[in-house]
Amino acid sequence: MDAHTATPGVAAALRPPRWLLPALAVAIGYYVAARLGMAFTLHPHPISTLWPPNALLLAALLLTAGRDWWWLLLAALPGHIAAELQSGVPTVMVLGWYASNCSEALIGASLLRVFVRGVPRLDSLRDTGILLLTAALAAPVFSTFIDAALVRLIGWGTSTYWDLVSTRLFSNALAALMVVPLILAWAAWLAAGPAKMRGARYAEAAALFSGLLAVCLLAFAMPHSDAHTAPAVFYAPLPFLLWAAVRFGPLGVVSALPAMAVATIWGTVHGLGPFTTETPQDTAREMQLFLITASVPLLLLAVALAERSRIERESRSQLTHLSRVAMLGELSGGIAHELNQPLTAILANAQAAQHFLANKPGERAILSEILQDIILADKRAGDVIDRLRAMFKRGETRTEALDPNRLVRDVMSLAHGDMTTRGIEVVPRLAASLPEIRGDRIQLQQVILNLIVNAADAMSMCAPNDRVLTVHTLATKGRVHINVIDRGPGFTVASEILFEAFYTTKPQGLGLGLSISKSIVSAHGGRLRAVTRKGGGAAFLITLPALARRP
Amino acid sequence: MPDNNKRLQCDSQEGGAMSIARANVTVVDDDVLVLRSLDRLLQSAGFEVEVFSSPKDFLEKRTANPAGCIVMDLSMPGISGLELQQALFGTRDGRPVVFISGQGSVPASVQAMKAGAVDFLTKPIDEAQLLGAVRVALDKDRAARGQRAEQAAITACLAALTPREREVLAGVVAGKLNKQIAAELGTAEKTIKVHRARMMRKMAVDSVAELVRLWTLTQPPQA
Repeated sequence: MDAHTATPGVAAALRPPRWLLPALAVAIGYYVAARLGMAFTLHPHPISTLWPPNALLLAALLLTAGRDWWWLLLAALPGHIAAELQSGVPTVMVLGWYASNCSEALIGASLLRVFVRGVPRLDSLRDTGILLLTAALAAPVFSTFIDAALVRLIGWGTSTYWDLVSTRLFSNALAALMVVPLILAWAAWLAAGPAKMRGARYAEAAALFSGLLAVCLLAFAMPHSDAHTAPAVFYAPLPFLLWAAVRFGPLGVVSALPAMAVATIWGTVHGLGPFTTETPQDTAREMQLFLITASVPLLLLAVALAERSRIERESRSQLTHLSRVAMLGELSGGIAHELNQPLTAILANAQAAQHFLANKPGERAILSEILQDIILADKRAGDVIDRLRAMFKRGETRTEALDPNRLVRDVMSLAHGDMTTRGIEVVPRLAASLPEIRGDRIQLQQVILNLIVNAADAMSMCAPNDRVLTVHTLATKGRVHINVIDRGPGFTVASEILFEAFYTTKPQGLGLGLSISKSIVSAHGGRLRAVTRKGGGAAFLITLPALARRP
Repeated sequence: MPDNNKRLQCDSQEGGAMSIARANVTVVDDDVLVLRSLDRLLQSAGFEVEVFSSPKDFLEKRTANPAGCIVMDLSMPGISGLELQQALFGTRDGRPVVFISGQGSVPASVQAMKAGAVDFLTKPIDEAQLLGAVRVALDKDRAARGQRAEQAAITACLAALTPREREVLAGVVAGKLNKQIAAELGTAEKTIKVHRARMMRKMAVDSVAELVRLWTLTQPPQA
């Protein structure tokens, strides 16, 4: 083999396989989770009250492709052996548990893959419902039978088959309920690119979690007389959990629930709190049942809220896109004009060049001028199409730093054809060196375009000399203003009514343009207002927060 | 034609209108790229071209009463092509107009054609269409100019007639005999014959039929 063919092969061999990092994370995570699970053991009752390794493995499988699962399962083995051998259990039993733990992860992940494509989403009630039924119910149930059977087969310990089933089932189910959503939610958060949060938001999260921990420790980890357990104690964490659900969504709840579980288990393991009964089995079961019944509805509540806001967001973005497309439809004549201009120039130039070549072949200068103009015209047509395509595209909101003047100029060139065919003169009065603003380029262009088209509509009855539209940009302290001013008749209704959905004065209008424009501007932290001008005409004023100037 | 030569001799005011060396095409379009390309195309086809990038510019800088035709964009900022066409009607600029438009709006084209546009071309324009329309427009301009020149010549000839000769002319055109005219004017038939001969010479015609044709040309068209 020569060097040329060998090099890529070596490079490929040196690149780590894609399963390596997840496998490493699983090996370490599994070990840590197993040690944690052991710490949650209620002595002398030998079984952990919350056994997270299986759930961790399940979540890891859900996050990876099926063909890499075997690597992850294999990676769990060293972690499993390292953790279990410290507890003095026979090797056969350790391997048996490895098999039953893997079976839980495999059963849960495979069942879920049947019903949910890809990683289950915590802003979908359907996905979350299936997640609970498969990962937190079916998988623990089936694997617990296998587990108990293996324990009896190997003959380790003295518990009966059904005792084993009942103690391990709750432990595994609780772990799946706490750990799988936790890992999925944080993985989704990381994948989406962590959103920038304001300081106040961090402070709120810190207050929420310290409050929750304090309440849980007070309620479930204090010396307790079992004769007087007030029911109110069990509801003490509820306000904090609701707070998490409403303000922080699924991510907040899936983080708050394990915090409550850990505090509760810690208290119980140390013989504190309200869950102290005759036998450790009963104590464990009562505590587990409490945690499970408290968690499921709160998780579902947070997911339902998240789903509703996701659907609202999606339909709003759909509506925004729809109104944008409708507006572009209205502009189609003008856009055809915008494309026809450069096409006309290209054709006429090319035909002139043919004549020059036939009649005056010696004149190279004119031919080079012609070619230069053809290039210019072609680029102009390309720009029109690019701008149009961007406006037609339906995409997620993308925020970036924007130059307000550039925004206005782009919209003006998009509307140029329409304004020209309507005989409207657009006068830009753009302040030099404006600070930048932050926002979605397409959505803000949509707002300006909407205002320009409205202004043009308002001036359709004006005398030719009065069909003048002014777009004015300026900066005041911390703010950027974009004003669209017309010389039309102004408006006769209160300005708030203009922005109501379905209010329109146009025979073909939907009445959505201004209402959508206003919500776009609001979402950018700005304001959109309308005023009638003294000299006649209307002015629509966009105010947006300015970005701090770069030094 | 000897007749024409004779007639042009008594043309005292509007001479030289037909003596244009090259046809002049004026292009008005607000889009500079389009304007330049049309300029080149028309020049390459052998026309003398004059361009204006705004209707305002055109109205301010155009020459008073040139020969030729105008090629203009229908939709321009400020004054639209149709408005410009109306504005030209107000002046003595009677040059034929060829409209070009980025979008074929039917109402606009109907209005333009009603107002006397030669053609209404939709962009992008093929050279055959454009050059064809421009040639038609130039022909129309030439014909209109020729007609105007002839009318002016006739008017000049008429102005040279004495009142009596004009009365005789009216009688002749009305188909009356010399005898009848003499009776109406209360003179001798012989005197009328002299006036008539002088009138026919001043009008540079040999026959009554020719005289009637010229006379009709000076009459306003009847609705």
